[in-house]
Amino acid sequence: MQEYENTPLIVAAGSLWDEATRAAFLDAIGEGTLPSAAFGRWLEQDYRFACGLMSFQAVTAAKTPRPSQRPVVAGLSSIDAELDWFENHLGQRGLSTDAPVHPVCRRYVDFLLATAYAQPFEVSLAVLFGVEVCYLAAWSRLEAQGPYAEFITRWSGEGFAAYVRTLHELTLRHPHPAQQSCFEQTLRHERDFWRMTWEG
Amino acid sequence: MLHDLLWERNIDLAGECLDHPFVRRLGEGTLNPDCFRRYIAQDAFFLESFLRAYAVAGAKCADLRHVKMLHEFMTGALEELKMHAGYVRSLGIDLTQVRPYPATRAYVDFLQAMAWHEPPGVTLAAMTPCMRLYAYIGSALAAASPPRNPFQDWIETYAGEDFRAVASDVESLLDALADDQPAVHDAYRYAMQCELAFFSAPMEDEA
Repeated sequence: MQEYENTPLIVAAGSLWDEATRAAFLDAIGEGTLPSAAFGRWLEQDYRFACGLMSFQAVTAAKTPRPSQRPVVAGLSSIDAELDWFENHLGQRGLSTDAPVHPVCRRYVDFLLATAYAQPFEVSLAVLFGVEVCYLAAWSRLEAQGPYAEFITRWSGEGFAAYVRTLHELTLRHPHPAQQSCFEQTLRHERDFWRMTWEG
Repeated sequence: MLHDLLWERNIDLAGECLDHPFVRRLGEGTLNPDCFRRYIAQDAFFLESFLRAYAVAGAKCADLRHVKMLHEFMTGALEELKMHAGYVRSLGIDLTQVRPYPATRAYVDFLQAMAWHEPPGVTLAAMTPCMRLYAYIGSALAAASPPRNPFQDWIETYAGEDFRAVASDVESLLDALADDQPAVHDAYRYAMQCELAFFSAPMEDEA
C-alpha cells in the first residue's frame, strides 16, 4: 500500500509484508472463484480469531494511557459490532460459531493474548496496527465486485482506513524497541492464517 | 481423579511422544549430539516461560497453600534451569544467539495466554502434561537404556524420584484447582500436542 510503503515497521519487515498481505485465498476471493469450503473455513476461523482479538484489544485498551486510549476503545466497540456481523453471516450459511479452533488460529490468538498481558502497551499497539494494516492492505488490493463484494468493501473502505491510520499514529507516538519483532511475528501469523484458510 | 482421566484420555499422544524418533534415539544413545544441543537450547527458552506461568498462576490462587505449592514448583523449575545451564556450558551453546522455533514459540505463547487469561485450574491443565510426560518418558527410557548412554544424566533426571514427586504434586494441585470441563481437557490435550511438536522441531531443523 502506497500510504505505508515508507512505514519503518513495514520496511524493516522486508518480504514478510508481501507474504502477509498476498495469498491464493485472496486472489480467489477477488476472482469470485473461491471454493465454498474454503470460504466457510475462513468465516468460522476468522470469527474465532476475532473473539480472541477482542480480548486482546480489551486488555490493550485497559493498559493504554489517555488520550491514546480513545481510538483503542473505539476499535473495541467496532469489533463487538463485527462479531455480530460474523454471527449473522455464519447463521445465514448454516455454519458454526463454535467450530473447533484450527491450530494456526490458536497460535495467533495465543500470541495476541501473551502479548497483551506480558508486553508493554506500546508493543500491543504495534501488534494491533499489524493485524489491521495487513487486513486493509490485503483486501484493498481487490476490486469490490463479485460474490464477495460486501467483504472486500468492509475492509477496504475509508472508515477502516482511517482507523488504521490512527493506529499507525499511535505506534509513532509510543515507540518501543520490542515493537519490530512483535510486528514481524504478527505478519507471520497473518501469512500462516491465509495459507490455512486456503489449504485447510 | 481428574489428572488420571486426563492422562488416560491422552495416552495416545503420550505413546506418540515415547515412540518419537527423538525420544527413541535419546534412549538408545544414538541421537545426533547437535540435535540434542538444539533441543536443550529450545528447552531453556521454554523453561523460562514455564517458570513464569507458575508465578502468574500463583498470583491468582485464593488459597495460600496453593500459592506455596506453586512456589515449590518454581523452585523445581529453577533447579531444572540450573541443570540446563550446565548443559548449555558443556555443549557450548550461546543462548543469546538462540531463536525460538515456531513450535517453541507456539508452546510458550500458549502457556502465557493460559496463565494470564485463564483461571489457575486451566493453567495447571496446560502445565501438567509436561511434568507427567517427562516422568513417564524418563522411567521408560531408564528401564531400557544401554550402558554408557551419553544422555544418561538427562534420563536419570526425569526418571528420578525427585522429579516424579514434583510431577505428582503438580497433578494433585490440578485436581484441587481444575474442574472436569472442556477448557481443561482442551488445554491438556493441546499441551500434549505442543510436546510432540517440540520433539520434532530440532530434528526438522536438521533436515
